[in-house]
Amino acid sequence: MDKQAEFVLRTVEERDIRFVRLWFTDILGALKSVAIAPAELEGAFTEGIGFDGSAIEGFARVYESDMLARPDPSTFSILPWREEGPGVARMFCDIKMPDGSPSFADPRHVLKRALTRAAEMGFTFYTHSEVEFYLFKDEPALGSEPVPIDRYGYFDNAPNGLAHDFRRQAITTLEAMGISVEFSHHEGGPGQQEIDLRYADALSTADNLMTFRLAIKEVALDQGIFASFMPKPFMEHPGSGMHTHLSLFEGDTNAFYEPGAPHQLSKVARSFLAGLLVHAPEITAVTNQWVNSYKRIAGGAEAPAWACWGRHNRSALLRVPIYKPDKANSARLEYRALDSATNPYLAFALLLSAGLKGIEEEYEMPPEAEDNVWALSEIERSALGMRPLPGSLNQAIIAMENSELVADTLGEHVFDFFLRNKKAEWNEYRQQVTQWELNRYLPSL
Amino acid sequence: MIADSSQGSPRVSSMRVGLLKAGVTDSEAAITAVAEIESYSDQAISGAELSRALVGVADPDLALKSLARLVASAPAPELTRMINTVTAEPIVLGRLLTLMGVSTRFADFLVLHPEIGIIADSQSLAEPPEGIRARLMTCVGADPHQEIPIAMSSQDDVLDALRVAYFQELMGIAARDLTGIYPMEVIAGWLSDLADATLNAALAIGRVGVLHPRTPLAVIAMGKSGGRELNYISDVDVIFATDESDSVNDATQIARGLMRACSAVTAEGSIWEVDAALRPEGKQGALVRTVESHVGYYERWASTWEFQALLKARCVAGDQTVGEQYIHGVQPFIWAAADRDGFVTDVQAMRRRVEENVNASIADREIKLGPGGLRDIEFSVQLLQLVHGRSDALIRSSNTIDALRALAMWGYVGREEASQLEHSYRFLRTLEHRIQLRHLRRTHIVPQDPDELRVIARSMGITSNPIDTLISQWGSNRAEVRRIHEKLFYRPLLNAVAGLDASAARLGSAAATERLRALGFLDPAGALRNIEALSSGVSRRSNIQRTLLPVMLSWFAQAPFPDTGLSAFRAVSDQVGSSHWYLRLLRDESLIAQRLAYLLASTRYVTELIHKVPESISMLAHNEDLVPPVLGPEIDSVLTRHLEPERAVSSLRAIRRRELFRTSSADALRLTDVTTVGRALTEVAEATIRGALACANEEDPSVWLAIIGMGRFGGCELGFGSDADLMFVFEPAVGADHEVAAKSAFARVNRMRSLLSAPADEPPLELDTDLRPEGKNGPLVRSLDSFAAYYKNWSSPWEAQALLRARTVAGDAELGARFEKMIAPVRYPVAGLNATALLEMRTLKARMETERLPRGIDPKRHIKLGRGGLSDVEWTIQLLQLSHGHECPELRTTQTLQALAAAEQGQLMSHQDSAILAKAWTLASEVRNAIVLVKGKSSDVLPIDVTDLAAIAYLMGYSRSRVGQLEQDYLRATRRARGVAERIFYGSVS
Repeated sequence: MDKQAEFVLRTVEERDIRFVRLWFTDILGALKSVAIAPAELEGAFTEGIGFDGSAIEGFARVYESDMLARPDPSTFSILPWREEGPGVARMFCDIKMPDGSPSFADPRHVLKRALTRAAEMGFTFYTHSEVEFYLFKDEPALGSEPVPIDRYGYFDNAPNGLAHDFRRQAITTLEAMGISVEFSHHEGGPGQQEIDLRYADALSTADNLMTFRLAIKEVALDQGIFASFMPKPFMEHPGSGMHTHLSLFEGDTNAFYEPGAPHQLSKVARSFLAGLLVHAPEITAVTNQWVNSYKRIAGGAEAPAWACWGRHNRSALLRVPIYKPDKANSARLEYRALDSATNPYLAFALLLSAGLKGIEEEYEMPPEAEDNVWALSEIERSALGMRPLPGSLNQAIIAMENSELVADTLGEHVFDFFLRNKKAEWNEYRQQVTQWELNRYLPSL
Repeated sequence: MIADSSQGSPRVSSMRVGLLKAGVTDSEAAITAVAEIESYSDQAISGAELSRALVGVADPDLALKSLARLVASAPAPELTRMINTVTAEPIVLGRLLTLMGVSTRFADFLVLHPEIGIIADSQSLAEPPEGIRARLMTCVGADPHQEIPIAMSSQDDVLDALRVAYFQELMGIAARDLTGIYPMEVIAGWLSDLADATLNAALAIGRVGVLHPRTPLAVIAMGKSGGRELNYISDVDVIFATDESDSVNDATQIARGLMRACSAVTAEGSIWEVDAALRPEGKQGALVRTVESHVGYYERWASTWEFQALLKARCVAGDQTVGEQYIHGVQPFIWAAADRDGFVTDVQAMRRRVEENVNASIADREIKLGPGGLRDIEFSVQLLQLVHGRSDALIRSSNTIDALRALAMWGYVGREEASQLEHSYRFLRTLEHRIQLRHLRRTHIVPQDPDELRVIARSMGITSNPIDTLISQWGSNRAEVRRIHEKLFYRPLLNAVAGLDASAARLGSAAATERLRALGFLDPAGALRNIEALSSGVSRRSNIQRTLLPVMLSWFAQAPFPDTGLSAFRAVSDQVGSSHWYLRLLRDESLIAQRLAYLLASTRYVTELIHKVPESISMLAHNEDLVPPVLGPEIDSVLTRHLEPERAVSSLRAIRRRELFRTSSADALRLTDVTTVGRALTEVAEATIRGALACANEEDPSVWLAIIGMGRFGGCELGFGSDADLMFVFEPAVGADHEVAAKSAFARVNRMRSLLSAPADEPPLELDTDLRPEGKNGPLVRSLDSFAAYYKNWSSPWEAQALLRARTVAGDAELGARFEKMIAPVRYPVAGLNATALLEMRTLKARMETERLPRGIDPKRHIKLGRGGLSDVEWTIQLLQLSHGHECPELRTTQTLQALAAAEQGQLMSHQDSAILAKAWTLASEVRNAIVLVKGKSSDVLPIDVTDLAAIAYLMGYSRSRVGQLEQDYLRATRRARGVAERIFYGSVS
């Protein structure tokens, strides 16, 4: 047993932890949890905890035998929102096959595989995300209009704002779990919040995002309100995106930075950026995985709909943020299509693979998009070489289906499951008769 | 000139004898050199003395020539000093000649630097070289007593001074080495001390000019230097660590300066490369990291070889506190390494990679890499340390010899074996040292030039018949090392149960279990029982098995089912262990033993055949015995020998069983490919059917009978689990009665079938006749006319499709040819496929995909009917054959791959599509065969059981550390094939 596992066992003893939750994530990004008693911890570290994979979305039928959840002791953390009563802690797990080899259905393994490939090329992948979400007064009953907790807007500092209290408690909770918050403010929509996480290696960020979503929901419940990461809950207000900053490091140096190069972007960064642009359409089904995700993109404004990049251009898919010259290590790219309801493991793995592909194949970076892309005509955009991102889940599925890059990155099992599941979702959606149709057609047809 | 005038004089001739006795080869040149030395030294150094001092010198010619150069070039004061030393202590002359007689570089150096004088007197050479660090520090202007010494500059003059001082120390060590008093490991230790001191001085230089020159930096030696077992010329492996992230920049600058101080080429040359590639993330990673960052890396990313490398980590220069923190921080990882997933396979895979890396043409002259090389010893010792070091701190050592001794002392390896191995290790290392000294070059290659070999042999003290003796000693030491795995890993396991040899390791049962488990045995207790059964007793069999078992165990351990393999070996041994041929084969044919171990521990199909006919294992000795023979003559001879049909067919089936063994073994050993396997299995089936048909009743002149192969049999693509699809066609002889002929043909076919399926020891040949017209309801045999009428009036598209694979396999060849001619317009319709037929074919297949797939099976994993599986490929190409066979004669083949090639050639399909289909079909066929080989029974589903899957992957040549790869490859290949099938067969547009 390594030192970290020993540390966990000791802490569980010292802090009187009665339950340890073992967390893992299904293919669609839902957090799964199994609680074990401290007595089982040692076995969990060495052997793993067996469970029936068939009950989990996307794990079914990979293999007939049980799977093992083996906790990663470096992710140990005490859950701060269970203050009274005996303590509860959590760890993320890797999903293993009975012989100890990693499961191809485990999204965490998908990301680890992509990271290993990056490591073989000498890179570590760092990300940080700006997560947007809405706060509602109550959990909306089915069929009712959701009511946001306030009517304030971007950066508003609301007096006696519920939102303010909420953010304070949320951030305290996150920090207590070792998740550093960089920034938080009221976003554009009523009741909409944004919290920015500090940068970390991609695996930690993905773990953190899973924790983040749960923590936010828990804190909201605690305050008698309701939080949602749905990409686009209101037609008239902005959706909840998850702009994510990406950078590659070679050891301790930022591989994206090169003084004197165009935009201070190294060749690595330029090819990485080009890779993201070239492969953006085929990875969109994962970065924006729900029917609802495309309502956000269709809404214009800050949500990107074309594969292009810019420095100041908030309508571009990729932004090259400006940073202070003495902060070479802050060189990064901001990918703006992601929404808050993605599976971060799969999304990061694909973003990384698309960028690495650009590096391997030495893609050339296209010229910068300087105008507001939404204001251009279709023919102008096409003349500038901007390809549209998929406009619906269906288009995204079709783009993904023919992608060897996505198949390679996700592995055949996840690739196949994901496509089947999304096709089913699209099929179900197609059959809906919406209020909009009723309003529009019923009176006149 | 002197030599010329005095040639022939008694003095000269006696000197010539003396010189020749000392080993001089060119006596003329030697006499000239002696004369020069005598003359320059004013006769203070006499020829007689020189002859005496030359005895045992590696290259006496070179030594004399060099000394002559030295005395001729030395300025007067130095010459006087030299002569005084030599005359005061005659032994110093011998040392000087010994040194210069091994490499010309020493004389070069002394000529260039006469101020150094001839190194050291005999007094100091008899003692270890103390104080190297202080001397090197002083020479770069750093105070050795300060906590953080800094050099006076980093200019070339300082670098030059360091190089000169370094070489002087190196020469001192070489001089001590060549006296032969000190054992190899002491010399290697001193060389490491010298490297340590050099790194210290280089660190002092590296600090010059850095903003914060006192920034903490620890230099951790790795590899040979870390283990204090350095050789003369080698890169020095290091890792750099600092205390906190703010220090990284300055520390990196210092580290760069250090590396440059050692590697830069100045007027005095270069010392050696400092290699920092063992650091986290290798050459891509940051040069200097904080201790925390190092530890963080090992927690998350490190791979097995990195832990193995860490075994040797030792702080040699710079900040001791940081160094200790580093060592302390990484230690736990080393000892937990053996618990990591795939640890043993990783290490073994690394070893294999190292071996593969050696350029084949020099492999047999390599001292370090290659089978039986130094690397073998180092690896094995490290591996054992990692396995047992976790529970036993006593065997933890970074030095190979120390570790080997500790392993022997505490019973993990046999003492006898350990001491033999230590002897070989010393020999190889000494050989390496001497080869490097010769030209002071970094090399591990034994030279081929006999003159060089002679010098090297003499430098190792081999004076009589030096070349042959050296080569033979080297060979026997290498052979010794090559058997290291069985000796170190496996032999002690035998003693754990048998304990016959008092000097052998007494591996406790806990350690034996630990080791067996680390080697991949799932049931160590059962394995120990089998080892005991096989090795105990005093019979000839147990004697041979005792010798053989250690190496057999190592082979079992490499295969997927070591436990099964071992117990199957025990079963075979119980069956035939006392027969002479078996013991002789095992003893004399090591390839047989190796292949037997592999087959028993990886394929149930072959194992069952071996249990039935153990004699067949003799085929494994030679690859040419595993190539399928021509069976015709043998079959004929059986048929003429046995008049009784039952006995004849029984012999035929025995021949078939033997051929199944041959082909399945060749396949499992990956000596063949899936096409060849298919052809071989088809030929055996044909020969058996032909023979059985000949045995079934007398030839009846009133009827001709032909047997038509269908399906994979028709396509020459049988697998180990395939049935043979057949149809029977007859024709009455002219004037014969149709009814009678039909009866006769039917009786013959039935007789043949019952002969082939009679219960027996041999595996039955399953015949499948369901593809005949009207299927199970149709008559078993039909006349040619009836076939023709049927196909004309009733046939459906799928029957035309099935006929694409029809091929005469036995019976009357002429009738077969007429049958094939008759069906040509059916299978290659002149108008191609009409729309109705096309629609019918597509819907039939679409329905099959939903209805025929067994329930609960993932369609992606069904090899025959699943997504992109065999039938997707076959139906696609068959569609093209039906459509274009009439106009494109190349398409008229029963073989899938040939048809694909023809379709590509006829531009009916792109190269890419054809390659995708061929790849999926080949892979699917291979997987199907491998499943039968592993499990002993056929299945059309890619297993979901991980153990089975891993075994299949291994059999197909996938490395054991990449179990999931076969699955990924299969799913990818078939996904692509499905795309092509949907486009071409279903005509869908994407």
